Amino acid sequence: MRTDPQKTVRLFFGPQHPGVTGNMSVELWVEGDEVTKGISRVGYLHRGFEKLMERRLWIQNFPLVCRMCVPETDVNEACYAEALELLAGIDVPVRARWLRALVLELARLGVNLMSLGGQGGTIGLGTAAQWGITYRDFVLDLLEELSGGRIYHMFILPGGVRRDIPSGFFSRVETVLETIEERLPEFDRLLFDNAVFQTRTQGIGVIRPEWVDELGLVGPMARACGFARDVRQDDAYEIYDQLAFDVVTETGGDIFARALVRRRDIALSIDLIRQIMKRTPDGPVAVQLPNLTRWRIPAGEVYAKVESSRGEYGYYVVSDGGLRPRRVHVRGPSYVHGVTLLERMLVGTNIADVSNLMVSLTICPPEIDR
Amino acid sequence: MLAQVVLGLATAVGGLAYGLFLGGFSRKMIARIHGRIGPPVTQNYVDLLKLFVKRTSIEHGTMFWLAPMFRITGGLGVLFLVPLIVGRVAVVNFSFAGDLLLVIYFMFFGCLGMALGAGNSGHPHAVMAVTRGLAQMSSYELSFSVVILILAAGLGTLSIDGIVAAQQGGIGHWNMVRYPFATLAAMIAFLGMMMAYPFSVVIAPQEIPIGPPTEYSSRFLSLMMAGRTVFGVAKLLLYMNLFFGGAANWVDFFVKTFLLYMYPIFVSTVFPRFRVEQSVRFFILVPTAIAAIDLIRIMVL
Repeated sequence: MRTDPQKTVRLFFGPQHPGVTGNMSVELWVEGDEVTKGISRVGYLHRGFEKLMERRLWIQNFPLVCRMCVPETDVNEACYAEALELLAGIDVPVRARWLRALVLELARLGVNLMSLGGQGGTIGLGTAAQWGITYRDFVLDLLEELSGGRIYHMFILPGGVRRDIPSGFFSRVETVLETIEERLPEFDRLLFDNAVFQTRTQGIGVIRPEWVDELGLVGPMARACGFARDVRQDDAYEIYDQLAFDVVTETGGDIFARALVRRRDIALSIDLIRQIMKRTPDGPVAVQLPNLTRWRIPAGEVYAKVESSRGEYGYYVVSDGGLRPRRVHVRGPSYVHGVTLLERMLVGTNIADVSNLMVSLTICPPEIDR
Repeated sequence: MLAQVVLGLATAVGGLAYGLFLGGFSRKMIARIHGRIGPPVTQNYVDLLKLFVKRTSIEHGTMFWLAPMFRITGGLGVLFLVPLIVGRVAVVNFSFAGDLLLVIYFMFFGCLGMALGAGNSGHPHAVMAVTRGLAQMSSYELSFSVVILILAAGLGTLSIDGIVAAQQGGIGHWNMVRYPFATLAAMIAFLGMMMAYPFSVVIAPQEIPIGPPTEYSSRFLSLMMAGRTVFGVAKLLLYMNLFFGGAANWVDFFVKTFLLYMYPIFVSTVFPRFRVEQSVRFFILVPTAIAAIDLIRIMVL
């Protein structure tokens, strides 16, 4: 698209910008307040994750994969562990599968609380942002108790989970869930019942339904357009086929609809966590793995996927029968959402809505850089 | 004359100190609403001093350096013309007949001076913020001008001193009661004047971080901060005198200005920001229409 240099201002929206989602940048061509062209600039976090994995032992990649997405680290562990288990033919104990689902849902709950608060924060509603972060902190307390780390848990390992839950953990989870549920109505009034929030999000950043298949959109981006797509149901992993739930959908396709999907996802995660806590059986939480320094995984290739808070998240792993992976490719939803979709949606957007739009797409730049 | 100069200096220093306290208190208050502990109330004093002693290495020309001076001059101009305590010669400042028009001029002067300086920085965020700020200022000044017309027509004076004098004799005489719609319109415009949410389109960190002061640092940012603080206090005094009967004593003064300051703070914590055109449209339509009710009332009655 040609731009008139006499009318156009070129703006670098990031990487040092409070409105940008993580370590990335968007180069904007702006006429007045309207964006005429936008290009995603990524690479600020490029550490060569995928290449690094080829040089490390299978187990040594666990501290690495979780760094692929800071807000929701556990999906990476789950994907990588599942890929290794499929390749090595490891049968994971039932209790471990339930505990994995518990951790994944806790992580989803935390990230949805944070991104929903962040949605308010991008248009100046700092109270929502702070409240969202606070509620997420309650969840992080639980994950810290479980794994020892607030952000990087490394709890899900091939063959099961790192250790069993501490005594009385479920009752503490229940207390946190009740606290969050108690506070959410006030949060809803602040955000969804807020006339200015509605004005700033309804009819803004609309994703057309035909783009979903054309661009391969997943997660809340697709579900806010009415597509009931969720790996937890479409291709159930762990124990999700044993849980009763409906995929959350909305029809607006705009920023408000995506925020509403996340809000309903929070309620869904709380419900799923309660179902998991009720039904988690007793038993071992991991199988004995071979000597990890000499662990050779049979040759083969596999694609393992889970539903992250941003949509389908997958790992394609190839083994040549050696001590290290031959190839690991990460399919994070942010690549499509943060590059292809964002660049398309930026055209015609008001400069005031750029940050609003980016947060609604929940772009996680390391997934793009990987 | 010397005594008046000394009193003027005391007003400026006192206004700055009080404004910094209010700013610090509001930061604490906002933090508590957010669920945070927040910085100490004295943080604004520390910030101001710390910035003032820092060196600068940015060069953007004379206008750029002069902008904080314009800002402070505008703030002091308003502050000096607004009486602090009713009937006390020592703190009546430089109020004179027709000073209300000069006050409005000074309010524009401070903002325009800063706009020129910030625009001179060449930073696109600053330039965009200047455009936004001037558009919004013009829109809320429209409703505020209608309110001034109502007061002038209703009370027969354009002197702030005269307007305060007309409100003495109890709450029933306050313009807030006498002209409720005009007061309501002015209170909405006040949110824009204080750059409070949902009208904080000028300093919008997530959009154009952080607007006019983007390129400012060190003592110039300190002066900018001082100017904004003095301006804030001057606006509080102006509103207290125009609508809430002025201050009969220092207790009255502190209670009224404190409550007035807290009003945009509390509104800010529960509203996100409008877009520029939404904000301008709102100011042109809503407060102007509300104020027009009192204008029609005065003209008909």
